[in-house]
Amino acid sequence: MRTKLLLLTACLLAACSSRGDAPLLATDVIVTRSLPGMQMSAGYLRLTNNTQATITINRVTSPDFGSVEMHESSLENGIARMRALQDFSIPPGQTVRFERGGKHLMLTRPGEDIDTVTLDFFADDTLLLSITVEPERVVE
Amino acid sequence: MSPSNKLRFLVLVTAAVAGAWLSFRMHAPVAQPGTATVLAAPEVLPEFSLLDQHGQPVGREVFYGHWSLLFFGFTNCPDICPTTLQVLAAAKRELAGQGFKTVPQIVLISVDPERDTPDIIGRYINHFGDDNLGITGNLEELRKLTDGLGIYFAKSPVAANTGNYSVDHSAVVLVINPRGQFQALFSTPHTIENFTDDLPIIMAGN
Repeated sequence: MRTKLLLLTACLLAACSSRGDAPLLATDVIVTRSLPGMQMSAGYLRLTNNTQATITINRVTSPDFGSVEMHESSLENGIARMRALQDFSIPPGQTVRFERGGKHLMLTRPGEDIDTVTLDFFADDTLLLSITVEPERVVE
Repeated sequence: MSPSNKLRFLVLVTAAVAGAWLSFRMHAPVAQPGTATVLAAPEVLPEFSLLDQHGQPVGREVFYGHWSLLFFGFTNCPDICPTTLQVLAAAKRELAGQGFKTVPQIVLISVDPERDTPDIIGRYINHFGDDNLGITGNLEELRKLTDGLGIYFAKSPVAANTGNYSVDHSAVVLVINPRGQFQALFSTPHTIENFTDDLPIIMAGN
């Protein structure tokens, strides 16, 4: 099992990018810029597993924020709810979407003068993917 | 045709055209909102006493004299609340761009008064437009309003043992008319088109 994980990790880190053939591919990445006076941003993206094995991510961190939590919003009978996700899995060949009104990243306690945001996705202590984007304003 | 007959003919044609136009107007179907639900009888808002973003007391009178889009949310909501306010702000801009002189004010009432001080909700709501209104305050007073309107909200832990909490809340947008009455509501999902299509009909029908 450990060998399998190491192999997968080596494979993923060898191609942690937005290249179409990357084992774990991140696309449509959006991190909102914190509103004035607020200590919070949201992250949205699509993660595609191009490998033959299920990938489970249970931790996301950012050097640009004090905390990153994986959340899931839902609307049931007109009631908006939000709950933490402990982990999520991406089956082989499948894409998991983090989108408005659904799974999303909640980033809190931003650092000062953030020009770019780096997000690191982990399986336990193993870094599977690192991406960097420019934050977007919520209202233009 | 003699001049008098000509005049008689013109009067008859004019009358026929006017009659046809009047008949069309009287029998033309009245436009109905496509997605919003309009109350058969608008409801007067319950009395309440909360604070606006400047820390000034406000009651239901704050809704008098203009149309309002009322949303209940909170500033620590990273996803649904800013997305909804973004939709409302965009719809307002679009209506103004289409030349509508009457555009509603966006009003956010916090369902998390514990964390949302007037200053915090003010900075937050101002980001979505210049003339928006943020309201927060005493929980009991808030309950008077939400219970009367059938708005649900409840604190809820985001994850066990973190101490962090979210607030589950109704995600509808209420339309309040210039007499301070609850006139219509938009259910989720909220789209810009739903508001730009239906608001002119709702406001014209008042």
